[in-house]
Amino acid sequence: MKLPPSKRSHKAALIFMLPAAGLVLNGCAEKEVTAQVFSTPDECAAFYNPPAQCQAAFAEAEQLHPKVAPRYANKQECEADFGAGQCETAPEQHQQGSFFMPMMMGFMAGQMLNRGGLAAGSGQVTSQQTTGSTGRNTVPTQPLYKSRDDRNTFRTATNTAVASQPGTTNIRPSAVQPKPAALARRGGFGAQAAQRSANRSYGG
Amino acid sequence: MKRHSIAPRPGWQDFASSVGFEFHTIDNEQYWDESAYYQFSLQQIEQDLEAPTEELHQMALDLVPDILADEQLLKQLAIPERFWDFIATSWRSGEPHLYGRMDFSYQGTGPAKLLELNYDTPTSLFETGFFQWVWLEDQLMQGQLPQGSDQFNSVQDKLEQAFAQLPLAQPFYFSSVTESIEDKGTVDYLMDIALQAGLDCRYIQLEQLGDMDGQLVDLDGYPVNGLFKLYPWEFMLQEDFASTILTSKTQWLEPSWKLLLSNKGILPLLWKKYQGHPNLLPAFFADNREIEPGWVKKPLFSREGANIELVTASGQRIKEDGPYTDNGYIRQALAPLPKFGDSYTLIGSWVVGDSAAGICIREDNSLITKDSSRFLPHIILG
Repeated sequence: MKLPPSKRSHKAALIFMLPAAGLVLNGCAEKEVTAQVFSTPDECAAFYNPPAQCQAAFAEAEQLHPKVAPRYANKQECEADFGAGQCETAPEQHQQGSFFMPMMMGFMAGQMLNRGGLAAGSGQVTSQQTTGSTGRNTVPTQPLYKSRDDRNTFRTATNTAVASQPGTTNIRPSAVQPKPAALARRGGFGAQAAQRSANRSYGG
Repeated sequence: MKRHSIAPRPGWQDFASSVGFEFHTIDNEQYWDESAYYQFSLQQIEQDLEAPTEELHQMALDLVPDILADEQLLKQLAIPERFWDFIATSWRSGEPHLYGRMDFSYQGTGPAKLLELNYDTPTSLFETGFFQWVWLEDQLMQGQLPQGSDQFNSVQDKLEQAFAQLPLAQPFYFSSVTESIEDKGTVDYLMDIALQAGLDCRYIQLEQLGDMDGQLVDLDGYPVNGLFKLYPWEFMLQEDFASTILTSKTQWLEPSWKLLLSNKGILPLLWKKYQGHPNLLPAFFADNREIEPGWVKKPLFSREGANIELVTASGQRIKEDGPYTDNGYIRQALAPLPKFGDSYTLIGSWVVGDSAAGICIREDNSLITKDSSRFLPHIILG
């Protein structure tokens, strides 16, 4: 049977505005994997890991640090997040001077150290790491940071809390994929909205 | 065109909240109002609203190259000179556009009169495309509306087609001002449809957009190559990232050439080119002087009825304050909104791509329709 012609949509379904949408979008649950977190190579060795591998993991994280640490346009903004004396100059310059970044406060060794998984680490931000879209089933070795108001928690460069004490921790790999540090200026849009706040909407 | 009372669906507020329509009531004032609906005949819809909408849309598009070719007009529309080439390129390269809404004064007989084009950041889209549609289906199912009642509302179908067919960058980002839950509601609805059309969508707060070496970037530093922004072009061109717009490889929705059509200055230009057209009102560029009875004064850029002033034929002055006092004005002959009961009624007519796609109805206690004006559903019957 042919439907009579209609002036309205054939369907008007919603998928992600519905309360249950989270189930649709999150996909399959990701498995946690084990990684180890330390402040220094010595602390790593004190946890019965081979000292040479601790040193190698630390060196790899240290090499990654200037590539991924969060960037700030000046020292004050950096110290506001990471604490007085906890920031250093970053390699890049902007028009008014240097970018700043927090100091590295520890490292996360992705593979189980005493099983020899570290030897292949290159210390480069590989394309796999920087795209952030593939290779998400392992935890890359990387630098860790501590914020000004929470000196116990180790955080990744993208501000994911990974552990509050040295030793073994369980991590979802997708949450800790290193990304190139963002040197972006932000807040360049929206000023007119703030000025003309009489409006409830900026549409019409 | 008639207004009928009808019992609201029991519990509709809970349903509204469950689908993210949190702004159905604003400051204890009803915004979504289903205690009544409007009825149109199919002929009223097709001849008086649908066909004129498509014709006026084409007339407006035909004006774009005229404006771009005339520096005087660009100045009259208060378009900043450093963006003239950018806007011209956006038009000449055929950057696609998604949607717009024209507002009409129409009472069921005679030609609908075009009041303005909302061609850059139109809202009340979710209410039209989804909530009003569900209202009709519910009331039909409950037997509260005559069988065979239809609605002029293919907004969601047409948006889904548009998202499936437009050559859009992927992922495509959607953005709105953080503090506005109403704008977020509109953007969520568009993202929902885009997702259903198979697009890879991301949301970013407008204030969170970054600039890295002249390229717009998201919070992770990835380039934003496609962006829907529910934020006026004329604002963006004045803000810190205005120069980023010129250098960033970003496909914009709406494209920047829409700035020419969302400008109230398009109304005098339409009148000049198509003087006497039955759907147009006489309109002229104006200065800040007092207006005569039977005229309306509107800023070039304004939204939600802000800074509109009118004097009725009998000399009554009605004025809406607002934050848009920094550019020029136009004046337009007054086509007073028809009165149904105690309410003045305005018809918004949607355009998706280049097709008329449906209507929405707003009621207000004054002749000036505002963001607080009530939204009422409608049916087609007869």
